[in-house]
Amino acid sequence: MRTDPTDTGGLFTGRRPGTAPVRYRTTPQRGSSQRQRVDGFLALLVAGVMALINLLFWGPAPAAALWVAAHISDDGRNIFLAIVAGFALCLAVLMGGLVVLKRLDALWILLRRAAGHDQRKGIVGPMFAVCAVVGGVGFTIWLVFIAGLGSSAMPASG
Amino acid sequence: MGLRDYYKQFEEESPEETSARLRAQAEARRRSALARVETLDLSTLAWPHLPPAAVVNAVTFVARRGLHRPPDPAAGELRSEIAHRVGVPERRVVVGNGAAQLLTAAAGALLEPGDELVTAWPSYPLFPLLASRTGARAVPAPGFGVETVLRAVGERTRVVALANPNDPTGEWLDEGRLAELLEALPERVVVLLDEALVEYAPRAATALVDRFPRLIAVRTFSKAWGLAGLRVGYAVGGPDSEPLLERLAPPGGVNELAQAGALEALRAIADVVDRRVAQVAAERQRLTGELERLGVAVAPSAANLLWISASGVDGAELASRLERSKVLVASGGRFGDDAHVRVAVQDRAAGDRLLDALSAVL
Repeated sequence: MRTDPTDTGGLFTGRRPGTAPVRYRTTPQRGSSQRQRVDGFLALLVAGVMALINLLFWGPAPAAALWVAAHISDDGRNIFLAIVAGFALCLAVLMGGLVVLKRLDALWILLRRAAGHDQRKGIVGPMFAVCAVVGGVGFTIWLVFIAGLGSSAMPASG
Repeated sequence: MGLRDYYKQFEEESPEETSARLRAQAEARRRSALARVETLDLSTLAWPHLPPAAVVNAVTFVARRGLHRPPDPAAGELRSEIAHRVGVPERRVVVGNGAAQLLTAAAGALLEPGDELVTAWPSYPLFPLLASRTGARAVPAPGFGVETVLRAVGERTRVVALANPNDPTGEWLDEGRLAELLEALPERVVVLLDEALVEYAPRAATALVDRFPRLIAVRTFSKAWGLAGLRVGYAVGGPDSEPLLERLAPPGGVNELAQAGALEALRAIADVVDRRVAQVAAERQRLTGELERLGVAVAPSAANLLWISASGVDGAELASRLERSKVLVASGGRFGDDAHVRVAVQDRAAGDRLLDALSAVL
């Protein structure tokens, strides 16, 4: 069975998908080595910001949504509105965060290229996955070992 | 460069931009290809277009069947087909590697150092070479007439070489005039009749071969048949010419691909050749009229060529000017006449290119 997309039986030469060189509009003029080092540091900084935003989705953002929802519930009288508002806020933060992440990812690519790297793809995907694992594990630890699984509204018996 | 511009330069093209750029490049290449004018080669008399598929298929079939086998050295099947078509016994036909090889072999067999070869002049440049290669002497007879040739025949004349129709002038001797010549020639003289362009002439001199044993007619598949790449031709001799014809055959015979192509051509594309001949005749008539309107002198022609001259311009200069207009013609110098050029007659499109180029350069 043919598994290599470039294996055409020797009839044509091809390139593996995703390995195309970067096509610039004009050949970029890189700055001095010092500037490239600065760009490398800035890229690291942007990656750090991206990681922070990603981690927001796994704790601070839901907590903030719950905090807002708790204020809306007004001692249990507007539960439905509070739930809707909490979910809406959660989704809004997630979507807005992703938009920001995408832009930061584009900026990160430019900074990496300016720093002298042949950067072809961004890191938003892998970073989201890694932060999901880190955030998910952190949330589980907090839930199970720190906050406990019991509900304050309906405490466990005994 | 501002900070924003500095980082913007590291942005890559979007797929749409890449597509648009590649489309623009392809369009530019296409425009350039359309604007390029291919050189039109009217310097050769070989048919300019691809051979019919039937002939190519026959050659391919033989090639795939097995080139490891030696060919039939006597080209029996091809000879048989030719003999049937010409109307002579098979033993009076010999197949060779083109007309030039047969003519060269005939000269080698007939001429000895000190002999003379008489030829009309201007004519096929190979004829004087046939004499010089054998140590004989070429005697050019000016013009293309029976009388001039007869006047040039001397005591040592052994061969008269004639192209009929004559290349490059296109003149043609009919059977009556040829018979006149053959009757008047001494017994010892053999006539080598090069009929490379005979398909374009009103008639072939085949019937004379039976009447005059000292006549050898040589033909080729390179011109009207359009198979110049195969290098195959044949010679037909008169009664009792078999010993001479055997000496014309190339050692080892003609290659099998050439035999197969020529055989298939005889069997399958005779009607195609007839259409080519009719096309050339019509185009030759049209071109003659148009050229005369341009003030160009055109000799009457019975072949796929026109022998032309322009006043005030010699042949080499005219050929050079036409070449600059991307039209190649044969300068008359190589045929023995500096004042003329020989142009091949092909089709209407080629004729129009020639007329346009001549209008521009004269």
